[in-house]
Amino acid sequence: MAETQQESGGSGDSFDLTQFYQIFFEEAGENLDLMEQMLLNLNLETADDEELNGIFRCAHSVKGGAATFGFSDVAELTHQMESLLDRLRRHELQPNALMVDVLLESADASRSLLARHQAGETGEPPSSADLVRRISELASGTTPSQAAPAPVAQPVPAVVPPPTGLSVKGERQLEIRMGPLERPAQADAVKELFRDITGLGEIVDMPSDRADTRVFKVGTSSSNEDLLDLFAFHVSREHVAIRDLGEAVGVGVAPQPGHAAMSFADDPPPGTPIAPAPGFGFFEGAPGAPEAVKVTAEGAEPKGSAKVVARPNAAHQVQPEAATIRVAINKVDQLINLVGELVITQAMLAQNSRSLDPAVYQQLLTGLADLDRNTRDLQESVMSIRMIPMSIVFSRFPRMLRDLASKLGKKVDFVTQGEATELDKGLVEKITDPLTHLVRNSCDHGIEMPEDRIKAGKPETGTITLSAAHQGGSIVIEVRDDGRGLSREKILKKARERGLDVSDQMSDADVWQLIFAPGFSTADVVTDVSGRGVGMDVVKRNIAALNGTVEIDSSEGYGMRVSVRLPLTLAIMDGMSVGVGEEVYILPLSSVVESFQVKDEAVNTVGQGSRLVKVRDEYMPVIELEKVFQVPRFDFEKSSDIMVVVEAEGSRVALLVDELLGQQQVVVKNLETNYRKVPNVSGATILGDGKVALILDTSALVRRSRH
Amino acid sequence: MSVMEREGDTVSTGAREYLTFRLDQEEYGIDILKVQEIRGYERPTRIANAPEFIRGVVNLRGTIVPIVDMRLKFNCAKAECNAFTVVIILNLRSRIVGIVVDSVSDVMELPPESLKAAPEMDSMIDSSAVVGLGSVGDRMLILLDIEKLMSGLDMGLVSGEV
Repeated sequence: MAETQQESGGSGDSFDLTQFYQIFFEEAGENLDLMEQMLLNLNLETADDEELNGIFRCAHSVKGGAATFGFSDVAELTHQMESLLDRLRRHELQPNALMVDVLLESADASRSLLARHQAGETGEPPSSADLVRRISELASGTTPSQAAPAPVAQPVPAVVPPPTGLSVKGERQLEIRMGPLERPAQADAVKELFRDITGLGEIVDMPSDRADTRVFKVGTSSSNEDLLDLFAFHVSREHVAIRDLGEAVGVGVAPQPGHAAMSFADDPPPGTPIAPAPGFGFFEGAPGAPEAVKVTAEGAEPKGSAKVVARPNAAHQVQPEAATIRVAINKVDQLINLVGELVITQAMLAQNSRSLDPAVYQQLLTGLADLDRNTRDLQESVMSIRMIPMSIVFSRFPRMLRDLASKLGKKVDFVTQGEATELDKGLVEKITDPLTHLVRNSCDHGIEMPEDRIKAGKPETGTITLSAAHQGGSIVIEVRDDGRGLSREKILKKARERGLDVSDQMSDADVWQLIFAPGFSTADVVTDVSGRGVGMDVVKRNIAALNGTVEIDSSEGYGMRVSVRLPLTLAIMDGMSVGVGEEVYILPLSSVVESFQVKDEAVNTVGQGSRLVKVRDEYMPVIELEKVFQVPRFDFEKSSDIMVVVEAEGSRVALLVDELLGQQQVVVKNLETNYRKVPNVSGATILGDGKVALILDTSALVRRSRH
Repeated sequence: MSVMEREGDTVSTGAREYLTFRLDQEEYGIDILKVQEIRGYERPTRIANAPEFIRGVVNLRGTIVPIVDMRLKFNCAKAECNAFTVVIILNLRSRIVGIVVDSVSDVMELPPESLKAAPEMDSMIDSSAVVGLGSVGDRMLILLDIEKLMSGLDMGLVSGEV
């Protein structure tokens, strides 16, 4: 098994993430399409939780991906969408047409932002500032409907993004407003930031007009974006409003994109609480009108123009879009099945043509030989469509973790194991999101801050391990960390707060299962990394949809392990086919250690007839497949005299078979689809002649030998 | 065959169509809508430790399908597999199962009035799986609820859960 170690430090830089951009763009596009569709079908009066959750998850997935790949503008916009949707699905707000409009517009804007990134980040960045502001206004519930006038007395906690590309030198005086907050004390933690981080600046309390809002006066030289990032640990972005108090050195350099939006936010024209997109018309032609805002106002179309600009110099580095096509999985499945049929027909033809006289039927036989070769190539290519190694998934993570760790101020090593394990593409696509959630969770909630780790007597640098392996009839993907682990009390306390039925007598495993409840989060603070309680619910749902299971193993203070077990359905496997009597069985090649012809004297019996064979100074139990599978014998000339040593779950056994037939790649089919679980068998496959062969479950055989 | 009221009659009131097959001397009928296709018998891959009437599994265009020999299940005198032996592939809810029968006769339309309730009897078949007896001329058809029969625990096709 290949093993690589990716330091969270410098070596992460050398990793080329761009190869996964394409996958992200495709996925994000799909998610946005899906969201749009669901938004359009949303019935405002009778919107049910399922629909709202679905839309929310789309936004969440796009945000997650965008953050992973460092597309902060997309992440910011979708984060705002997510906040609004989060309040909708919690029924804190009632969905209305205005929200749907804004969300649809945001989806369009996200698309055009993505298109720009896809085209190589050339051209004018479309500004999403206005949309971000409008969504956060909706999310804060201050503009209930179009008809109602803007409540003047109530401050609008709008997120004002910093002017893009504006580097601020010198100190600025800012008024920072945090609220409305459930616990205003959260905001006080921000003051500690200013105390702890030297050079950040000064912070002074200001009188607040509302109990749930804190106001500070800050003198700093950091940009708004940096401040928001820092505050995000304590107060989520949508609750922070930064206002410039003027006397700044170097702020008013030039009319910058975003400035218009800023003044706009501070002083909304009465009567137009939410400016509809065409409302921007009055900026047109005005000297110094911010171009970027116009791009967003045109919402749906900037995609095209951005691409045109990008083409000339981006062509050599960005793959053209036509390099891949997305095809429905069932079409591929159909193709695979048809090719399987073709191979069988071809084998039959080959068999029947053997008796023909080569001299007479020379041309026919040449044709059949070509057919043979072509069908095999065809089969191989068709199979390869679906199969991709886990490394595709794994290699997304080093960069994400590195960014995340540095953002959180943690030190994390990332180790991957078994990335050569091949998995069906359908499974890979569906497993990526859950894994992203799990890895983020490990980093955000699992791994402690370096000083806490040292205090706890652990190495300063935490380790997150991601591994994949075939195990019996499943593939097992594990996310392990050596962080603080889950706290039983904390989970039970949270569960009680949420009114779940729990008791102190519950087993650990049952307690861990609680974190899969929708909306359940043990995080004290919602950050833009995680803590909203969507993660685990999505993880569980996605994996259950694949007939998989999630298991959690945790020890408080020592870490946590999440194992995702997926059935091998359609996973491809290297197999060794062995013959017993008239029958053929497949052994997973990965568990085969060696095989040899056995001499009678090498086999010894112990006690009640169990047999042991000595292989190079090691005694191991012998399992006669003939007996285990009650293989009927017709030909008594033949007997089992070949031992195949297999290893599983850390121990070895020798299987007694008649003959070794060869090695081949097999497609693992599930027996349980139409039948039931068969003991000692992990699945079935179809051989070249169309016959079904059973795949042995080596773990079960090893376990069997222990009893 | 007489054409009776054809429209919208297949649900409960009107005639239903049945595929009839023979096991030894007995003639059985099953709902035609459950039948996916009819194939010749090919030797399945044996499954160890399965009940005797489960012949094994075959490859049906890429799907692994278990094959149940109805003659063994119903204790027929002989269960030979020859050129006339037929496998009926059934599509039962989400499962595909093949059953081995001696021969397939034809498809018959039976009006409800020609169905008689089956009397209490001692037989190999779970009596709840027998829908009724149909009489066609002097022939007697045993109409089976094949879905119920196949999902019974004694068939060993499902593990535990129904």
